[in-house]
Amino acid sequence: MSGVGTIAESVGSGRSTAASVAHDVAARLTEAASLNATLHWSAAVLDQQAAALDGLSPAERTTRPLAGVPIALKDNMVTTDQPTTCASKILEGYVSPYDATVVTRLRAAGAILASKTNLDEFAMGSSTEHSAFGRVHHPLDASRVPGGSSGGSAALVAAGVVPAALGSETGGSVRQPASFCGVVGVKPTYGRVSRYGLVAFGSSLDQISVFGKTVDDAARVLAVISGHDTRDATSAPLPPLVLDAPRRNLTGFTFGRPREYFPADLHAGVRAGLDRTAQALQDLGATIKDVSLPHARFAVPTYYIVAPAEAAANLARFDGVRYGPRHLGASGDVQGLYRATRGQGFGAEVRRRILIGTYVLSSGYYDAYYRKAQQTRALLAEDFRKVFEEEGVDFLLTPTTPTPAFKAGEKVEDPVAMYLADIFTCAINLAAIPALSLPVGRSEGLPVGAQLVGPMFSEARMLSVASAIEGVVDAVGEVR
Amino acid sequence: MSIRREDVLHVARLAELEVAEEDLPRLVEQMGRIVEFVAQLDEVPAGDSAPPFVAGPAQLTLRPDAVVPSGLVRQPAAFAPEFTKGFFSVPRLGAMAEGE
Amino acid sequence: MSWETVVGLEVHVQLLTRSKMFCGCANRFGDPPNTLICPVCLGLPGALPVPNAEALRLATRAALALGCTVHPTSVFARKNYFYPDLPKGYQISQFDQPLATGGGVTIESPERGRITIGVTRLHVEEDAGKSLHDRLPGRTAIDLNRAGTPLAEIVSEPEIRSPAEARAYLTVLKQLLMYCEISDGNMEEGSLRVDANISIRRPGETQLGTKTEVKNMNSFANVERALIVERDRQIRVVESGERVHQVTMLFNAASGEVRPMRSKEESHDYRYFPDPDLPPLVLSRLWIEQQHAALPELPAARQDRFMSVLGLPPYDAGVLAADRTVADYFEAVVGRGVEPKAASNWVINDAIRAFNETSRFPVSPERLAALVVLVKDGTVSNQAGKRIFAELDQSDETPSGIAERLGLVQVGDADALGAWVDDVLAASPKELERYRGGETKLIGFFTGQVMKKSGGKADPKKIGAVLAAKLK
Repeated sequence: MSGVGTIAESVGSGRSTAASVAHDVAARLTEAASLNATLHWSAAVLDQQAAALDGLSPAERTTRPLAGVPIALKDNMVTTDQPTTCASKILEGYVSPYDATVVTRLRAAGAILASKTNLDEFAMGSSTEHSAFGRVHHPLDASRVPGGSSGGSAALVAAGVVPAALGSETGGSVRQPASFCGVVGVKPTYGRVSRYGLVAFGSSLDQISVFGKTVDDAARVLAVISGHDTRDATSAPLPPLVLDAPRRNLTGFTFGRPREYFPADLHAGVRAGLDRTAQALQDLGATIKDVSLPHARFAVPTYYIVAPAEAAANLARFDGVRYGPRHLGASGDVQGLYRATRGQGFGAEVRRRILIGTYVLSSGYYDAYYRKAQQTRALLAEDFRKVFEEEGVDFLLTPTTPTPAFKAGEKVEDPVAMYLADIFTCAINLAAIPALSLPVGRSEGLPVGAQLVGPMFSEARMLSVASAIEGVVDAVGEVR
Repeated sequence: MSIRREDVLHVARLAELEVAEEDLPRLVEQMGRIVEFVAQLDEVPAGDSAPPFVAGPAQLTLRPDAVVPSGLVRQPAAFAPEFTKGFFSVPRLGAMAEGE
Repeated sequence: MSWETVVGLEVHVQLLTRSKMFCGCANRFGDPPNTLICPVCLGLPGALPVPNAEALRLATRAALALGCTVHPTSVFARKNYFYPDLPKGYQISQFDQPLATGGGVTIESPERGRITIGVTRLHVEEDAGKSLHDRLPGRTAIDLNRAGTPLAEIVSEPEIRSPAEARAYLTVLKQLLMYCEISDGNMEEGSLRVDANISIRRPGETQLGTKTEVKNMNSFANVERALIVERDRQIRVVESGERVHQVTMLFNAASGEVRPMRSKEESHDYRYFPDPDLPPLVLSRLWIEQQHAALPELPAARQDRFMSVLGLPPYDAGVLAADRTVADYFEAVVGRGVEPKAASNWVINDAIRAFNETSRFPVSPERLAALVVLVKDGTVSNQAGKRIFAELDQSDETPSGIAERLGLVQVGDADALGAWVDDVLAASPKELERYRGGETKLIGFFTGQVMKKSGGKADPKKIGAVLAAKLK
């Protein structure tokens, strides 16, 4: 299918109609049903959006930067015209009475919201196996997972159903599935995109992020959804992102290769993909430098304190009083209602994280866990700051994931093993800095992703660098 | 620091989560492993210390005191599990259980 | 053997803002249930809080009026507990970094005279919704109109030593909050809510006894009543050899009893942590200073000034300074050149009565000042003045206009008085004879007759001189 820019130009100029785009998307969604990547979509909602767009005057239509562009949304961003379930039984059937800020901005830009995509329940997981509505299948190998938690969005982009999709990140939930599925995934700086209407998981880590078939697809969507929002007190007071022109030469750029991200037991295919990328960067004129992020090994344990603690409080609102299904306990009182609604509504992984989060905040444990984690988090952020500010590094180059897509069932019973799937991504969320993953080849047929990490608010440059790599690296060729 | 059965039951009560008896042993074991895993932070060198991290803007931007429309396209009756005579409702709370 | 009572008070004050603490819903009492709600105060999935600048200004103002130190950085925290009228499952409050700490409230203690009760802290938080147990059969009804209303919580040191002192503290605190236009002080509508911590110990002991928390008191009088009942209960418990248990007691105003609330074992582990949705609140020193400079003269200072500058007795000064509107009104009257004590008498005896009934002053300070001058310079009598005051409420006429219309202007003219005196003396030959025979107290009789003859218009202060001349 065409890219974001091509569709927007075509529909914006009136050479094609939004109705025809909507029709094609409906056909592709039907075709891709076996992936289980979509939780909600309807031809009626697609047609309705297309009709509104086609009804605009030509002058109005040309001002819409995403005119007619179909975009899928992870089902943890609230929409008034389709349900929002977070892949949880506790929100089954819930239709939000308001739109998320990103949804409002996409609508205003002329995008067609194609579908709400499957995820790990409340975005807690790295495989979509924790969805209450069944896992997503990897588009290239149905026995494997697409990564997670934004696996549905990644799979739809990889399968060519939509050119771009929104996911959300807390510890790598867009970059990791982007890497597994062979698409581009961009996690902006914390605060770059409004969180208003994103169902909160770990509020100090959550950031709406973008998948694109190409760097350009992702960049165009990010430009539309970014920018200050007065409804989100953590939103950065900055205008929407202005993109740099794509680059073809990286002379003068320095890329740091943190040794902690290239352990001896790194998957050989992943290592080969990264070597190939480093070579490409040098061919483009850049310098590669080995660097160190000394606290890197503490990232995953820090993350698994901060995120569950915030999640435990964020998920307290799902109590069966104001919205969502209600279950009555045996006791018939309010406490029974709470315990039954929450006990039956939340899946196993969400329950585990609520319990862990409650534990680390509870009386007597706060200092040992939560405070300690927030202090360690500052150390991790400081590691990155030093590399960028004191060692002359423009961007870091790392693997996105330790391995290509793993098999379904491989880690689902072992929470700690699953948590380690975030080992190269979650430090970036903890440090609140931007990063992206782009495909740099395949290993035994499965995509391998390289990660670029930059200082705060360096997205425009980072995307232009990624487009340079994209131009020279064969993203679908075997790496060895 | 290992997790005991009572610890799981205690935090489950705090979090108002029903935990089935048959799930308990596995939960105790899994939480034990997670807590052991995150306890790696004890190995952060003592000399490395920093004030707790704050993500996002360094300070709050406040909202002017103005009444604005609710933005609700549907009213509570459309999404509440129980909504009677303009009220959300729950099983009767005894006066003894009242108030925070 | 005697007991010392130790009380600390936590006062929740709803702040007088237009909109709620973290969203743009109206902050208003009395609307139909669940009509002042939005995604934020309903705790809908995805909604985020953004704090109200005016709420923080009012809280800062309260803190400064209480003499607290307002901190340049404070932090919002989540207080986690489940309750059906708490939409998010946590309350946004402040915990280890509150807005302000360390102030005081000066009161007249019935037992200890003038003392200052320390204020430990003032922090900002959001109110919960309301649970109503009598609206739906077998159900508790939840109204979230109040959810998210901005509150300042003011916590006192445990330095209050009697139920009467607790009441005095609350009276002064409320006065201060209303003076600074922070709160409307309306306890019936819940704008001011009080929780009390109370314990007893032997005089001279430095350790605190086990405290209980008393809730559900809807007036200051009830706070005093409830504390008396709970203090007496604790004394009975301890004197019978038992221990006081740390529980929450609910006061029942109808029965005058306190009884323990069921407490859950976990109820006190609130798992506070900084709210990740809200960056630290940073206030510049300059802004804090500006708020300090913008404070009105506070009641205690004003009372002192009324005494020292205007020469009012302490009682008058206290009554006038207690309410800002009354004090402003009084000062406006004095500002028209009226003698302060005379103005005070009129405001306290006449104007306040109307104010208490209608919450407004029906007579403008200009007109009251004019009336006071009329009485003071003898144009009308004091009694006539009262009649004119009542008339002022009904019309726009000037006091002198009313005096003319009603014929209340006193006659001091010697010729007119002389004529009335002549008539009276001519009509009272027997009394005149007795007077001349030495019965001088009859002068009072003649004065009364002259007043009667004049229809009340004769100036009594001037009758004496005319009479004396004629009687020679």
